[in-house]
Amino acid sequence: MPIRFNDTKLGSLYTNFEAQKRTNPNLKLGQEQVLQLVALVGDGNRGWSASKIATELAKPGVSRDAQIALVKGGMTANEKKDLAAILDQGTVPLDPSAKQFLEAVLDRSSPQPPPPPPPATSGLAVTGDQKNGLTGTTKAGATIEAINISTAPGGRLHMDDTSVIGKADANGQFNMAKLTGDQAMREGDLIRMRARYADGSTSDWLTVKATGIAAKDTSNATVALFRIGMTDAGGGKVAVSNINASRQVSEPGAQLEFTTKRTGEKARVTITETGGFPDGFKLNGKPGDSFAVAASDGVNNTAFTETVGNVTVPGGTASTTDLIPDPALHKDELDGAGKPRFSKTNFTGPLFIDGAKPEDVQQGQIGDCYFPAAMAAIAKANPDAINNLVKDNGDGTYTVTFKQKDWASGRFKDVAIKVDGDLYVRSYGGALYGHSSNSSDPKKMELWFPLVEKAYAQWKGSYNEIGNGGHSSNVFEAVLGKDGQDMYVSTGNLDRVFDTIKKAVDAKQPVAAGTYGESEEARYTNSGVYADHAYSILGYEQVGSEKFVIMRNPWGESEPAGNGANDGIFKLKLSELGKLYQNLMYTN
Amino acid sequence: MAKPPEPIEEVMPQAAWVVEAVVKEVLATGPTPAKPANAQPGATSVGYATASQTVKLTITNVLKGEKAAELVVEKPVGSYSLKAGNKGPFLIDSTKTILGRYGPDSWNLERVKSAVK
Repeated sequence: MPIRFNDTKLGSLYTNFEAQKRTNPNLKLGQEQVLQLVALVGDGNRGWSASKIATELAKPGVSRDAQIALVKGGMTANEKKDLAAILDQGTVPLDPSAKQFLEAVLDRSSPQPPPPPPPATSGLAVTGDQKNGLTGTTKAGATIEAINISTAPGGRLHMDDTSVIGKADANGQFNMAKLTGDQAMREGDLIRMRARYADGSTSDWLTVKATGIAAKDTSNATVALFRIGMTDAGGGKVAVSNINASRQVSEPGAQLEFTTKRTGEKARVTITETGGFPDGFKLNGKPGDSFAVAASDGVNNTAFTETVGNVTVPGGTASTTDLIPDPALHKDELDGAGKPRFSKTNFTGPLFIDGAKPEDVQQGQIGDCYFPAAMAAIAKANPDAINNLVKDNGDGTYTVTFKQKDWASGRFKDVAIKVDGDLYVRSYGGALYGHSSNSSDPKKMELWFPLVEKAYAQWKGSYNEIGNGGHSSNVFEAVLGKDGQDMYVSTGNLDRVFDTIKKAVDAKQPVAAGTYGESEEARYTNSGVYADHAYSILGYEQVGSEKFVIMRNPWGESEPAGNGANDGIFKLKLSELGKLYQNLMYTN
Repeated sequence: MAKPPEPIEEVMPQAAWVVEAVVKEVLATGPTPAKPANAQPGATSVGYATASQTVKLTITNVLKGEKAAELVVEKPVGSYSLKAGNKGPFLIDSTKTILGRYGPDSWNLERVKSAVK
């Protein structure tokens, strides 16, 4: 019978020790491992991080008694129960000194018999249905904390990132306690909750399946596709894991079905109580294989006919279902052995939502600011150029047609680059590189910008080739087929700079500007403008004799103070432009 | 290297201190890092790196961590430089190194406060 941990981090570490024991049956936990465990419980009441506790415990000269006091001082009642369970029910043996240490932490002066079974009541009970919220009983005055673990996988919440939803009265009754916003309860949702008593201790966790809210449960299990990690395990197997184990892949008890696109083979797995995969879960497959993922909460999509997306095993050659070989990652995203640290997900959202707009463009974790700055400038000046740049082929592929100058004839010729919707994704969700502002959901994100960036990387060789700096004017050429121009900016030529911006904006031609890099970074700190960075110029204003330029940071945020919402768009005096920017990029 | 700041959710777990502070003094500056190869004039996102610095911070508010009036911290080699008078929210790890790609300009105070909760 596995231990049911209250503290998920502690549970995760202990589960790891259990896994080690399976490959090393002689494994015993010594003082070092026990200190790792207690560092995770010593943080509870004190507000310290686990790493802070670990540092304090490992400091030279800290006595055993001081270590014990440090842990006890930060331990909650539930964490104490967890340690007692490790001591009394754990499957990984402890060496004598480690065992004595844990006993001392738990105030057991001598070996104790196993504790009695937990009381029949957990200290928290829910009654009735949830039509009007959560109703139940606990200790008088206790606050009620809860999290919707059916919706949480779509966000960045841990399973114990609860919200306070109510308080028990003098009789221990609470009612109409509700979660709100993204956490709002729907029929069939799983609500994980506990009571926090006046002394800071908590009840056991209680999970409730919401009923009475609607006639039917129509909300299937949410799947955080981006947390599904696949690695080649050798021997024709692919290891499947939650790459961010502190957050959920899906709701506990949900079933996921994986279909190997290459072979059609199907396999199902049940999500564990911690929202992840069972230890050692593997699929038949090889590097490059792509798997379609479908989910069911036992009520919805029970035939697994509706998929939530695809996950691809990194490395190897592309499987037959990878429509187009993808550009390689930037070198910063490769591990020491040169293998990708990120997997890919197939994005299937709309190519355009209301056409191309500068606000769509969001630079990702890659040093290609000149590219999103240029694309947002084009989207502002000439959105039709982007609408005509990328076409949906209707078969999961897209064709992006760039322009390349033939230096012999001086003419631009078309270069068509075909890409599919596979994009590298971050561990917590969303595309790693360029993305769109409307959503990080692979099924909803507007695709034109990330696909054009991907095609540009494909054309130039890889994300590494485009991710080490460049000029926005080159991107203007590649999209518009017009010669790009650079003009140096200084406080001495501001009238000419403003005139150039005005002419370009009025003629619906894109403009961008770049800041200084080398040795100039100190001038930017606290200015709201960043060094070695490109910005779109979206417009200009003239109020009396004062001239302003409207700019946009391609991050879609971070701007000088006093410019309203933090959306990256700001108005800069022309004189400031002269001080902070080194060049203007535009087309003839 | 003008990449966006790292997601604060990735950085906050490493922060032993989260403070609002002003740079009182730059105590030391490390060697100048080498220029990136093939840096083109006028290009952006080239990845110029700045020297490490040791700076003294005057703390005006502690959002996370032990209370302190001053901290001497290390600004690692990176994408920004500090000078006396610079201010903002600083995330600092247990080795007293400033976190975040742009130090006090990585995330605005509102976002930092929200992430501390």
